[in-house]
Amino acid sequence: MLKLVTRETDDQQEFAPVTQDQLLARVANGDQAAFAALYDQIAPRVLGLVRRLLRDHAQSEEVTQEIFLEIWQTATRYDSTKGGASTWIMTMAHRRAVDRVRASQASRDRDTKIGIRDYDAEYDNVSETVQTRVEHERVEKAMLRLTDLQRQAVSLAYYGGYSHSEVATLLSVPIGTVKTRLRDGMIRLRDELGVAS
Amino acid sequence: MTDERHDADSLTGAYALNALSAEERAAVEAKLGESESLRHEVTELADTAVLLGRAVAPVTPPPALKASIMDQIASMPQLPPLETPAPESDATATVTEIAPRQSASSSSEPPTSPPVSAFTPAERKAQSRWFTKPAIAVASVAAVLGLVIGGGVLVNTLGESQQSNQAADQLAAINAASDHQQAVAEIEGGGTATLLWSGELASAAMIVDGLAALPDDKVYELWFIGEETGPRPAGTFTVDADGTSWRVLDGEMHAGDAVGVTVEPRGGSEAPTTDPIVAITSA
Repeated sequence: MLKLVTRETDDQQEFAPVTQDQLLARVANGDQAAFAALYDQIAPRVLGLVRRLLRDHAQSEEVTQEIFLEIWQTATRYDSTKGGASTWIMTMAHRRAVDRVRASQASRDRDTKIGIRDYDAEYDNVSETVQTRVEHERVEKAMLRLTDLQRQAVSLAYYGGYSHSEVATLLSVPIGTVKTRLRDGMIRLRDELGVAS
Repeated sequence: MTDERHDADSLTGAYALNALSAEERAAVEAKLGESESLRHEVTELADTAVLLGRAVAPVTPPPALKASIMDQIASMPQLPPLETPAPESDATATVTEIAPRQSASSSSEPPTSPPVSAFTPAERKAQSRWFTKPAIAVASVAAVLGLVIGGGVLVNTLGESQQSNQAADQLAAINAASDHQQAVAEIEGGGTATLLWSGELASAAMIVDGLAALPDDKVYELWFIGEETGPRPAGTFTVDADGTSWRVLDGEMHAGDAVGVTVEPRGGSEAPTTDPIVAITSA
């Protein structure tokens, strides 16, 4: 038993596992190696999300680059008491992807059914595919608890990057209805997924 | 309650989904400082939106992207830390401090033209992120495997037998804990191990990938390893053909515990009989 503990201690240097929060704190001090490590951990998620919205791979890489440069610049203002590093980054990533969707009409040759149809599963081999599946499954189940209109509205907005007025047009419903459905749908998802602050 | 306020209330969902125009966004943010309940709802819905983001399949970026980014940050200055909250703030300093600033700056720019390069206004934009003030920090990605919107097809990628919903809920609870942490380590002999834990919940989960399958008479066993108490058995697992598996550890995690994995005879052992193939510290 002692051996186990000792060994574990010896191996710490080699494994050197650190959390994303710890990495981001180091990035805030200008630590480029920590930034590289953080990038390695979370870039596939960021690129996955951005590409989901933009569809175009070259543009998605551009936006991903912008996001990571922003992380570098603003890590100094990250406060871990306000939430996890990955939440901060993923929220920023979605916002930036939406910004690009809105700014670039060229990217809007996207299928207008984009949020409604089935998705391509693009699985590059990343290390957390098991957890990925578990979490995906939970979201999927939660999504099924929404009404069709709620689900379509939320999906078009989040995964398609459409504004609520665009969603209203796509679904042929009044904008007031879309606002309500987006709110009701998100509240339902919140409850289904057990999000509470 | 004014009409304007009422309107902001109805926009929380769209706000969290980034589905508002810049003008509407500013209107919601202007109200955040005034309403605790509105702020609370926006925070929770923004956290929920992050879960939707994690439901997207990760995509491995090309090495050139990292090289380009690393090259740029080498000579890029970082912003100075934010000043302490302004005196005008009330108890909820962060939101109230930023909200007026945000709305003021937003209203001075054309509402319908977000910047093509989101980067230049990074500072202001980044501040707006703090509204979300996430209460959860979910680790991990998630994938869009057959997330059929409107179709209603449920793809159970794990198989009912492998993990119960209860275990998945436990994993989610760890992910959702405010003090959620995770660490990744390489496994001797190949594969990776990801440890997720929450001190608040005194709970941990291990996810492995690329781990070698074992003969029928062997299992992988998890251990909480306390500096003083030594290893405590925390459950066994096996891996499928992909070498993947996960499980929530049995028992309570104590502060400072490391988590290790050993190969043990089927049924598990009371104390480790082999050297760990991986050990991750939580301290």
